[in-house]
Amino acid sequence: MTYYVYLIFNGDPVHIMEGFLPAIWCIVWFAISIPVIALGIYKLNKLVKEKREILPLLAVAGAFIFVLSSLKLPSVNGSCSHPTGTGIGAIMFGPAITAVLSTIVLIYQALFLAHGGLTTLGANVFSMGIVGPVLSYLIYKAGMKAKLNFYFVVFLATTLGDWATYIVTSTELALAFPAGDVLSFAGFLSSFSKFVAIFAITQVPLAIVEGAVSALLFKYVIEVKSDILVEMHVLEDSVVRKIRGLSA
Amino acid sequence: MTNILDDYALISPLRHRNNWLKLAIVLFGLLVGVSSTSPVPPLFIALCMSFTTIALGRAPLKIYLKLLLAPLGFAVVGILIIAFFSGSGQELLSFKLMGYPLSVRKDGLELALLVLARSISGMCCLYFLALTTPMIELFAVLKASRLPEAFIELSMLIYRYIFVFLDMALSIRYAQTVRLGYSSFRRSLHSLSMLGSTLFVRSWEQGDKLFLAMNSRCYDGKMALFEVHRPVGAPELLLTSAYFFLTLALLYLTKNASIV
Repeated sequence: MTYYVYLIFNGDPVHIMEGFLPAIWCIVWFAISIPVIALGIYKLNKLVKEKREILPLLAVAGAFIFVLSSLKLPSVNGSCSHPTGTGIGAIMFGPAITAVLSTIVLIYQALFLAHGGLTTLGANVFSMGIVGPVLSYLIYKAGMKAKLNFYFVVFLATTLGDWATYIVTSTELALAFPAGDVLSFAGFLSSFSKFVAIFAITQVPLAIVEGAVSALLFKYVIEVKSDILVEMHVLEDSVVRKIRGLSA
Repeated sequence: MTNILDDYALISPLRHRNNWLKLAIVLFGLLVGVSSTSPVPPLFIALCMSFTTIALGRAPLKIYLKLLLAPLGFAVVGILIIAFFSGSGQELLSFKLMGYPLSVRKDGLELALLVLARSISGMCCLYFLALTTPMIELFAVLKASRLPEAFIELSMLIYRYIFVFLDMALSIRYAQTVRLGYSSFRRSLHSLSMLGSTLFVRSWEQGDKLFLAMNSRCYDGKMALFEVHRPVGAPELLLTSAYFFLTLALLYLTKNASIV
């Protein structure tokens, strides 16, 4: 029970706290996350060698994600909550780069804000830096291909990405603390359903709010400076024109 | 909140100690903390780390307690709820829904205490690092490690820009609040999105400027850092090894002990 209470009052159930996972699970999640981060760094190195101007841009992007995730979202049910910011990151920069950026951001969050921790970094990177962004990116790409409304696609991608993050976090916690003494499928399921149910109180509305904020954020960016998005290959020129109501 | 931790680190006397030693102490504490099976070693680590941070690192006691109390408050709530649960019997069926398995309450309590102790010790270790070691010192360590160059450069630049954008975000938020931008839920949504988009556009422009500025100063993908050589003194070494030895001894002694 403690861990449920703990995480809810923390207001921030997506970050698993320092010391929360037993050693073996810390290792497992690091082992899963590190290859993906390594791939991201490899891509990053290649990108930086090709276009040197990309590094400062990525740096401000990382700082942007950090600051975005430290802002308080308008609350629906009185809980204090922050956006993950990784959905927007995935749409703008792609999942591989977002994995590297969120790793750095998570380390800073652990050191500056005591959100998350160093031993639980692997688990947090997996849920917030890998699974969430990858899903957001896939949904975004699929939605744009299907020629759905751009804002609706952004909303969907961010919200579903956030839900994926919270489901993965619940899975990580349920694997570490299954019902019963040893890890069994039934014990895992029973524990998982509890974590999911309790997190749902804060996470389901939170993800919807973050989805709405992300969609509005893109609306304002398109109003003010749509050429950035075209330059970054987030949107095609024709789509921007259509959204702004201009003739092609 | 954010620059406060780093500010205290900058004026801490422990800042001038060997970075590798401090990192080793922190990593040791974290690893022993998560691998212990009894709450005693983590609590011992928490005590030692707190003492070092306050007495040797000169972190203000009030700030430190406040930092610790934030998560500790929830811990106390958790403990109280557990005590309440183990005292009552089967009739609290609605609470079973909340996920408390009444049949294993001794195990549950023990596990809860253990996780609580681990979390506290983890927090103490992290605060020790955060309050005595400024980020700049850690970058020197990162440079010496074999991590990829681009990753380290990226971390350093991100670190720099976090503070620039935080300032920006705070002043925008202030301006919006004064104009009643957060007076209702609908308005908050719009204000926050506007803040985010402005932040994004500005950070993009800042990135362009940064590239120009760094390029005109002959940036070639590597920022040179000056690492101060700080030898580990005998008293530090002695103290650290005593601490390591005691913790390991405790870990061994409490391996099969149960406190509930």
